[in-house]
Amino acid sequence: MPYDSGMRLLLVEDEREIQDFVKQSLIDAGWEVRTADDAKSALEEVERNVFDGLIVDLGLPDLDGIDLILRLRRLGITAPVLILSARRTLDERLKGLELGGDDYLTKPFAAAELLARIRNLVRLASQKEDTSHIRIDDLEIDAVTRRATQNGRLLNLTPQEFLLLEYLCRNAGRVVTRSMLLAKVWGMQFQPDTNMVDVHIYRLRGKIDPEGSESRIKTLRGVGYVFQTN
Amino acid sequence: MSSRRTRSLLHSEAWGISLWATLAFAVGSLLVFWGLQNFVAKDIQRRSDTWLSGEVEVLGDVAGRTPKDRLYDNVVREVAELASREVPNRDHSSGNGSDSVFFLQVGTSGDDALWVGTEDRVSAVAAIRSVPARGDSPYDVRIKGFAAPFRVATIQIEDGSHIYLGLSERDELRVLRNLRLRFITLWLVIVLLGFLVVFYATWRMLRRVDKIALVAAHIGRADLSSRVPAPRGRGEVGRLARTLNHMLDHIEATVGQLHTITDALAHDLRSPLTAIRGKLEAALLPGSSTDPTERIVSAIEELDRLSNFLNTSLDVSEARADALRLSPAEIDLASLVCAIADFFEPSFSERGCSLQVRIAEAVHVSADAALLHRVIANLLDNEIKHLPPSRTVCVSVQKGHETAILTIEDDGPGFDPEVLPHLFERRVKGKTSRGHGLGLAFVQAVVRVHGGSVDATNRVGDGIRISVSLPLLKRGESSKLPAAALVIR
Repeated sequence: MPYDSGMRLLLVEDEREIQDFVKQSLIDAGWEVRTADDAKSALEEVERNVFDGLIVDLGLPDLDGIDLILRLRRLGITAPVLILSARRTLDERLKGLELGGDDYLTKPFAAAELLARIRNLVRLASQKEDTSHIRIDDLEIDAVTRRATQNGRLLNLTPQEFLLLEYLCRNAGRVVTRSMLLAKVWGMQFQPDTNMVDVHIYRLRGKIDPEGSESRIKTLRGVGYVFQTN
Repeated sequence: MSSRRTRSLLHSEAWGISLWATLAFAVGSLLVFWGLQNFVAKDIQRRSDTWLSGEVEVLGDVAGRTPKDRLYDNVVREVAELASREVPNRDHSSGNGSDSVFFLQVGTSGDDALWVGTEDRVSAVAAIRSVPARGDSPYDVRIKGFAAPFRVATIQIEDGSHIYLGLSERDELRVLRNLRLRFITLWLVIVLLGFLVVFYATWRMLRRVDKIALVAAHIGRADLSSRVPAPRGRGEVGRLARTLNHMLDHIEATVGQLHTITDALAHDLRSPLTAIRGKLEAALLPGSSTDPTERIVSAIEELDRLSNFLNTSLDVSEARADALRLSPAEIDLASLVCAIADFFEPSFSERGCSLQVRIAEAVHVSADAALLHRVIANLLDNEIKHLPPSRTVCVSVQKGHETAILTIEDDGPGFDPEVLPHLFERRVKGKTSRGHGLGLAFVQAVVRVHGGSVDATNRVGDGIRISVSLPLLKRGESSKLPAAALVIR
């Protein structure tokens, strides 16, 4: 994946199993990853290398993750930080801390979600993407007028279907999880027990896929969905 | 055994308290008596002084008028003896007045012309003459051979001679001594009795406290179901015991709840964990008939459900303990319901059910958006899970009197009558439900934190009705909810 390549991340996590799994997922996605087991080695790493983003676990053995982030900021490191935490709600201190471009992810998380979040963070930090107009094959999406066309023909989408399509297309070629869709498209902070997202995807497919062909929105069971590009 | 008991009694608080109380009482009553006795002594002396002054004047008058002839001595002596019989405070049992009263006339030349009184005339006269007279007021004179001093009044008559009238203070002192003796006896009895009464009362009360402490220690060590003995009545000790027992009831209930929750949680975790493990193992087995990917996917889905369950479980507990962190904002309940219904509608129609939304106007409430969102989603999710095909769910939002009312009705089979009374309790679910029985418990907990109420009934005919009431946000009123409700009930 050309988009992610050449970007360097620092992963600060003391639990080896999580560190290994996150590191592997990031490397598979084309990131260059350095790891640190504690705050001390993280500070050493940032002195030696320049990073495009950091992933910091809050429960470090030697220093609280929030204190580490504060120190990094004092050192003048402005790279965006993705905070990992086992706590369900945002820590009060984090609320007080100006998060800026930083983000927060609670354990357990899906690798796809972590990749999407860190990608989003780094992209926001570098502000490179044109966001108002998306074109994928025969699909064109105008985020300003909220219209989607296929081969120049206007698609009859409900506002929510439009948002769903826009989000999938923005992340075309990448996995998006159900909880990401629930949060970004419907503003839901939890997972319903029933397969409601599948029903919405099913309806959208009926509107954008040519009859008889395989759907462009592919379901990865247990993980999420991918909008495939040709 | 008894010596140990005595020792423990001596070290008890009751002993100390009674000792101090008795000491305070004893000293206080002594001071009062001392004051009283002084007053009595002064009064007695004042009376005898008045008598002396009066008598010495009478005697002086008699002595001045009586011619100095042969009979002079006899007349004066008789008058003096008569006077001595009228002595105040006189104890008649103690013999004649000759040793309690004396009369002395001293001539101008310094010779003691006349003496009526004790037989030891020489030493008495010497003692009287050694003390200079102090004008009109009587004064004390000590005479050798007499234990008690004499009170002496003096007067000078016309021929220049002095007349001394003395009165022994013996009777006076005896009265005072009697008074003191009686008081001391009475005082000792009262102090001892007081000590016993105070000690008994304190000891009885503290023994109750001690019993409470003993039982409390036992409860602390082993048995949470015991209760401290609670005496009847409105006393402080009774109140202490009752308060302790209430606290213990609460602790026992909480611990019981905790046990139940932990057991249930362990049970709930164990089943899916077993399933996940089984599925992953099966995926690794060579030559299996089904695709290993399918099993892994199924395991991941199970894990997602598990993590969801854990989160909801914790949310319900937090909401029940009023420890949910709220970020209240002004929310239009009507448009929120519309948006959520939009999300759920496809799932309803996929099952052949229809979802109707009846909304007339915007209804503003002050609530935590994310939590309220989940409350509505939970209610609709429940409907999807339990409603048989081709039924209708109707959601409406109305303005009531100072409340916003969200009603969900369906024409399904209704709640199981056995479950209905316990619908909002944790882990209560219908026989056919595959859920964890947390949905409605969460709904109620969150609504309560927002100052509202939830009511669930079976409709006449068929179907259910759940209505959620929330306080209506009044015009111009900003959010009243505390930013973080951290009250532990």
